[in-house]
Amino acid sequence: MNSQNPYTPVPAELVEVHDETPTIKTLVLAPSEPVEFKAGQFVQLTLPGVGEAPFTPSGSPREKDRIAITILRTGVVTDRLHECRPGQTLGLRGPFGKGYPLDKLRGREVLVVGGGVGLAPLRALILALLPETDTIARLSIRYGARCMEELLYRNQHAAWAAQKKVDFAATIDRPQPGWTGPTGVVTTLLKNLDMDKANCLAFVCGPSIMLKFATYALEAEGLAPQQIYLSMNRRMSCGMGLCGRCNIGPYYLCKDGPDMNYGTIKDYPNVF
Amino acid sequence: METHYVQNADLLQTLGGPRGKRMIGPAPTPALAWLVSMQDSASLDGLTQPRAAQSPKSLFLPPSESVSTYGPRASPTATETQPLVMLGVRACELRARNYLDKVLAGGEFHDPAYRRRREAITIVSCDCADCAESCFCTLVGGQPFATEGFDVNLTPVDGGFVAEVATDKGRQWLGQIASTPAAPAQLAAREKLRKEMTARLHKQNAAYATSAFESVPAKLPEGDDEGWQTFAADCVECGACTHICPTCHCFYLYDQAAGEDRFERVRTWDSCLLSTYHRMAGTFGMKPTPRPRLSSRLANRVLHKFVYSLRQYELPGCVGCGRCVDACLGAIDIRRVVRDLSA
Ligand SMILES: Cc1cc2nc3c(=O)[nH]c(=O)nc-3n(C[C@H](O)[C@H](O)[C@H](O)COP(=O)(O)OP(=O)(O)OC[C@H]3O[C@@H](n4cnc5c(N)ncnc54)[C@H](O)[C@@H]3O)c2cc1C
Ligand code: SF4
Ligand code: FES
Repeated sequence: MNSQNPYTPVPAELVEVHDETPTIKTLVLAPSEPVEFKAGQFVQLTLPGVGEAPFTPSGSPREKDRIAITILRTGVVTDRLHECRPGQTLGLRGPFGKGYPLDKLRGREVLVVGGGVGLAPLRALILALLPETDTIARLSIRYGARCMEELLYRNQHAAWAAQKKVDFAATIDRPQPGWTGPTGVVTTLLKNLDMDKANCLAFVCGPSIMLKFATYALEAEGLAPQQIYLSMNRRMSCGMGLCGRCNIGPYYLCKDGPDMNYGTIKDYPNVF
Repeated sequence: METHYVQNADLLQTLGGPRGKRMIGPAPTPALAWLVSMQDSASLDGLTQPRAAQSPKSLFLPPSESVSTYGPRASPTATETQPLVMLGVRACELRARNYLDKVLAGGEFHDPAYRRRREAITIVSCDCADCAESCFCTLVGGQPFATEGFDVNLTPVDGGFVAEVATDKGRQWLGQIASTPAAPAQLAAREKLRKEMTARLHKQNAAYATSAFESVPAKLPEGDDEGWQTFAADCVECGACTHICPTCHCFYLYDQAAGEDRFERVRTWDSCLLSTYHRMAGTFGMKPTPRPRLSSRLANRVLHKFVYSLRQYELPGCVGCGRCVDACLGAIDIRRVVRDLSA
């Protein structure tokens, strides 16, 4: 963070670009001064002269001099970010937000539910937990994408699943040649959840329609609203509680979130 | 606090001329006063008119300003920090400034441009000797005179002003003007005006002074309540209410080129009433937005002022200046909204 002016981005060199899927790339940045973040905190990424967009770094928070950001192309800034090449200078502001409540996960069964590019912010949580699985009861990952080609981090799934206490399942929307796994939207993986429901905390990230149906599915499985955390990745501008844009009731998602306990926000309209 | 008495003619002398150049105050008009540079309007008459049509918000938070330059050839942002005197600021406007201080300079992150402007300003406030029909400060815990938050406060009394000094900055400003210690009769005149104006505001708002305003935060329903639709039906989504409001501070940031290898980030007022305000990325034609209905955006605005702000900043977000009542093209009166929708 620029200590004089929180609006000024810290220059960051783009050092690697990974094609993840036809619509998603991961940009790896080397900031000119350390930008340390906790899993679940987000940054504002500047494309000089074009604008900013908020992203939750998808890499391990333990890596201090590199920041990985996984980006779906979907509009003005993200389209242009997809055209960036290594060597270019971008900018970073942040980190902003609270980050995942890692202190609440001790001894818990952790359920991670991702939809599409929503697995990106959740990967920071997964990577934070993998080296410490002895402190939690279980890490269960449920992931859905539109089709096989759109499955994010596909070459890492097996390695995650191979770890102690970790299980992983992915689904794609419709059957496809070469796919032997489950089909249907991600909520189909949440039916008859074989978990210790009283001791479970769920973290959900994806498009708002997916957040909605995943929440309903988890409630149907017997989870209380307080056991569900939702990544409320809504329109943001300042990222620091000044511009007023991102409120749900008295909460600013940029400051009090972006991951919000569903129990805290559920009584406000327009949550989904 | 120290109280002085300043004669009209002596105060008038400080307006106009070179000193008036960096002084913004109310110029009288047949309707509401209008904030201008005092160099162009050396008159004290605006001080005894009701609060001006515009709020002084834009002096702290201009509609649009560069808040950062970046890039290999960037120079540090140059925000104008020349000292400025704001003459005739009203009590409600001071409460609004207080609110902006909490939002933009009171939390973990500060807006440096706001702070610079804020610190360069000397505030010479003035008690209200008249009020607009839309004024309702007394409904929201305010009063038509200031007791804190100013450098100097003026009260119009016979032939001049009682000037109360609160800070060194204020003492310095008043030091340039001939004054005498305020006499007991002048202080009594000040009390009388304050009582009269308070009574007048209570009277003109009697129709709204229900339990709706007594309960803080207000007992307003959330945005999905049908009641909001009745009012939203009159809203034409112009954003006038938010722009004229002295506490509304929503903005967005955009970037642009400012020369070769230099870019600038601009902070621009935005309005939570507008349909584009929350709109998110998505396939063209189906961009999702968390508050697609105007009624829920209108509700969010009013709820922010009367409910959420108290949770966020321990301050109400409405100071009762009534400008949104005057500005609204749909003739929506926020007093009526709060009264009618509070159960
Ligand atoms: C906390 C947070 C974390 C996010 N993490 C990721 C991530 O890891 N990977 C990823 O691909 N996407 C993520 N997003 C969504 C991403 O920010 C938007 O897709 C992006 O802003 C779209 O910008 P655009 O200019 O391409 O789209 P346009 O539709 O052209 O949008 C124009 C402007 O609107 C704003 N905007 C539009 N949609 C969104 C949105 N959904 N959220 C916030 N602002 C928006 C931006 O300011 C943007 O510059 C995250 C959003 C938030 C709030
Ligand atoms: S001023 Fe009136 S019409 Fe305009 S946006 Fe506000 S409420 Fe709607
Ligand atoms: S993004 Fe500005 S207040 Fe949250």
